[in-house]
Amino acid sequence: MRNKRLFILMIGLIVFIALMGFTLGRNRLTWPEKFLNDAFGTVQGVLYRPVGAVAEFFRDLDRLSAVYKENEQFRQTVAQYTQDQIKFNLLEADNKRLQEELNFTERQKNMDNYRYLIAQVVGSTSNPYERTITINLGSRDGVKPEMAIRTVDGLVGLVSKVKNFTSTVTLITDLNPSYSKGTPVSATFLGIPESFGIIEYDDETGTLQMTKIDEKDKPIAGDKVITSGLGSLFPKGIIVGTVKSSQVGDSGLTYTAIIEPAAKFNHLREVFVVVVPEVEEP
Amino acid sequence: MRMNWVVLGAIILLIVENSVMPWIVPPGWSERLLPHLCFIMTLFVAGFGGRHPAFLCGLGFGLLQDLLSYGHLIGPYGFGMGLIGYLAGLASERKGMTIGFFIWIVLVGGVLLDTVVYSIYKLFGLTDLQYAYVFYWQVAPTALLQLLIALLMYVPVRKFLVKPSLSSGEESPE
Repeated sequence: MRNKRLFILMIGLIVFIALMGFTLGRNRLTWPEKFLNDAFGTVQGVLYRPVGAVAEFFRDLDRLSAVYKENEQFRQTVAQYTQDQIKFNLLEADNKRLQEELNFTERQKNMDNYRYLIAQVVGSTSNPYERTITINLGSRDGVKPEMAIRTVDGLVGLVSKVKNFTSTVTLITDLNPSYSKGTPVSATFLGIPESFGIIEYDDETGTLQMTKIDEKDKPIAGDKVITSGLGSLFPKGIIVGTVKSSQVGDSGLTYTAIIEPAAKFNHLREVFVVVVPEVEEP
Repeated sequence: MRMNWVVLGAIILLIVENSVMPWIVPPGWSERLLPHLCFIMTLFVAGFGGRHPAFLCGLGFGLLQDLLSYGHLIGPYGFGMGLIGYLAGLASERKGMTIGFFIWIVLVGGVLLDTVVYSIYKLFGLTDLQYAYVFYWQVAPTALLQLLIALLMYVPVRKFLVKPSLSSGEESPE
């Protein structure tokens, strides 16, 4: 009797390891998986949003006094923004004119015209090793795997699994280059467009790190970090965060910067799916 | 046990776990307190319903949970909850179900489940955290919170989900 039980346990273990190995790094979902995910996602959405609104309300009450200060800051930012807008318009017109003169193809011109799809977050999981959130847009809305997800503040993650009406998003805190399906985020400093670094998440300290920075681009605290779009899935120009501190990297020839993420990863409500214009195959 | 109601309750708990729980946990603790409500339900089934229903309940809802949070792989919770549900059922069948014993089951079961899940992710090279760190950071607080939730659920579960039966000597206040 004892042996039989042990035998069943062994068989179960083998079956499960096979299942885990099989589902590791798979991108396509079968229809029962899609159906279950969509069903639960829809029901979760009904709960997640109202609960979120109530929770936010109480949290806002808590920091009512800080709002005045924040408003002051916002006014200054808006003033700055209108100033920048004028500059930006001039530069954009200039850029367009130069592109026309240099005979850019239609595809090259449209490369940076991202479309944003607004998505509601409908759930987040309690699995500590797979920090995923569910959004209420799926393949019906044009979401495809490996699209970038951002909030108003900055980069949040990457679409990992797409269902018909919902999608699963893996947060950047869960993307580690050493994983088998790792997706390094290549990044650059806002002030130094030629700089290059790779963003990783350090579980132990809970911070983002930017490694392999060239020694001539010494990171300074307060520098803004954006995605560079070089050789990675993420489109360029999405804010990742600001540099908190920096140190000399492992080999001594590069710098490592500790980055404060711009986006908050918990209590997300609305996110944007970044749709990069399709490359038309000739 | 009224199994139909248990299944319905577990589905509701799973939805609550994914949509309400993230809002209740304060932001600073959102990576540390990750209670698994379905797992607590499985332990109740183990205590009141025996080891085989608990095994099936753990297996089914574990796999469902894996499916809903599918990022890297499917299976850790299905395996962990099935196994621990069965063991908890075995233990409570031997010892009899008292609240003191149940507290131990929830605590030890919670720690075991997170340990099993951690080992699986470690095995597949998906995490490089040390176990001591994970234990202090996430496993211990989660187990304590699960104990609290289990105690809050104890009376309603007994009242609504356990069939009054005279033969087993298990009396439920109705």
